[in-house]
Amino acid sequence: MTDVMIQTSGLSKHFGAVRALDNVNFEVKKGEVVGFLGPNGAGKSTTMRILTCFISPTSGSAKVHGHDVFDEPLAVRQKLGYLPQRAPLYTDMNVWEYLEFTSQIRGLDASRFKARLKKVVEVCGLAQVLGKDIGTLSHGYRQRVGLGQALIHDPPILILDEPTSDLDPNEKAEVLKYIKEIGKDHTILLSTHNLAEVEEACARAIIVSKGRVVADGPLDDIRGKTGGVRYFVTVDEQSAEKGSAPKTAEIENGLKSINGASRIRVLPTEEKAHKFELSGPQTSDLRAELFRLVVQKGWTLLELRRDTQSLDAVFRDLTRGDERLDRGADWDDGEDDDDDADDARPEVSP
Amino acid sequence: MSAMTTIAKREFRSNFDSPLAYVVICLSFLGLGLLFFLYRGGFWQLDRSSVAGIFDYAPLGLALLVVPVVTMRLLAEERRSGTLEMLITLPVSDSDVILGKYFGALSLVLTVILATLAYPIAMFMWPWSLGPLDWGPVFAGYFGLVLFAAAATAIGLLITALTESQAIAFFVTVFVLAVLWFMGPGAELFSGGMAHVLEYVSFQTRLEGFSRGLIDTRDVVYFLSVTAVCLAVAFRALERRKWA
Repeated sequence: MTDVMIQTSGLSKHFGAVRALDNVNFEVKKGEVVGFLGPNGAGKSTTMRILTCFISPTSGSAKVHGHDVFDEPLAVRQKLGYLPQRAPLYTDMNVWEYLEFTSQIRGLDASRFKARLKKVVEVCGLAQVLGKDIGTLSHGYRQRVGLGQALIHDPPILILDEPTSDLDPNEKAEVLKYIKEIGKDHTILLSTHNLAEVEEACARAIIVSKGRVVADGPLDDIRGKTGGVRYFVTVDEQSAEKGSAPKTAEIENGLKSINGASRIRVLPTEEKAHKFELSGPQTSDLRAELFRLVVQKGWTLLELRRDTQSLDAVFRDLTRGDERLDRGADWDDGEDDDDDADDARPEVSP
Repeated sequence: MSAMTTIAKREFRSNFDSPLAYVVICLSFLGLGLLFFLYRGGFWQLDRSSVAGIFDYAPLGLALLVVPVVTMRLLAEERRSGTLEMLITLPVSDSDVILGKYFGALSLVLTVILATLAYPIAMFMWPWSLGPLDWGPVFAGYFGLVLFAAAATAIGLLITALTESQAIAFFVTVFVLAVLWFMGPGAELFSGGMAHVLEYVSFQTRLEGFSRGLIDTRDVVYFLSVTAVCLAVAFRALERRKWA
């Protein structure tokens, strides 16, 4: 028994002509809490469904706790707790019955069930709803019940598919709190498209896009991966130090003239101002030049900020192209040098 | 307790969480009562101590109402709501799921069938005794009814395994079972080989012998084969999700 808990090698999955996963390789070691990130339809759920033996890969293999997902599905599932997207539960059962049902299927005896139930109720905060029908619960509570059923047999590995989607911010924070709590002594693979959650709960992230792993590593490494640093510049649109108030295009042209600035875009703002976001190289700092530009033009600078912390930009960088495709844009307009122009957008049914 | 029995138990119990099962059971008993006692003079006109009427009407009620209603939810609803994913990713094999669902549904259908035993018991044993009843054909008839229910439920399970919609599962099951039933009477319209085939396949002709007290191995094997084939195909249909 090694301490590699989840291992995939060359995992591919096709749905008809659609390639949902394309040669996915990664490992999750014991005790890690890994965020599995990607835009909708990137292949997160498909990967998780393969790992839980719900569907089979078209090619490649995966091992969970040392068991092959194809050859020993029951052994794999025994070691797993799985929470599918949107926590589909039997709405006609109450929480107690449901947890008892899953524990019976998992072969827990009555006394062990009682002991685990106590623990799960405590960790997931289910005490108040134990006797209630699942159909009457709010989404947040259903998510907790789903988490509870995944934990009832104390599995070494947890796979959670978007455990925080559709939740309100309070519920989100609570579910994340439980996950962090559970993560202290479990291996967790957690999918989401919300980066803030990954930053809060995980130490490592795997980013997938269009069925491929585009980044894998500790959060800090991933942040540095694209080499981009973001700058935010806000300029007053009503007045200027010299001359007349600047127009958007004027500022944009000015920013373009700066050496190393790329991907300049206008951000919406509630202030009476022009707000821009641009990227610069990791190696240098553009702030001085930005300042000089503003002074030279005589604009009123309201804000100048350099941002290296956000995973958000990295994520957008790495998964760029997905969205353009949705809007009907061509595959090879600009920087997208993908070699599989015939590849349709990987669609994963929810 | 094995995973299969756990699933079967849950399935059986879940029928009583919605009013549907109660409504169906009540309706089927009301229908059977009306047909048995009143339709074309019914039992009274017959003027014989026989409950053969039950075996004329009960299979139709089962085929057109009880079995489709009980089986339509089994997999279609789970597939639609996503609970199937939750269920299958528990440590259960696909055959556990299929057999658990099957026996869960079959137990409800058998409960309905066994409840009709109240007719012969109440009429000929206690509290009334309307005459000397020959119990042989009654038991043979019930044996046939159970075999028929087993096959019909397997057909319903197969159909629900193929669709995501309960409504479609219901109507297709009603249609298939009705066709299998009325093939027998319909065979009169044809002649020669065609009529032969229709009669051979029809559930109605297969059941006729039982209510007369005749247990023919061929009929028994026929119903059991239909059951086994449908369960096997349903199993493949469930497994198909892996490769779709």
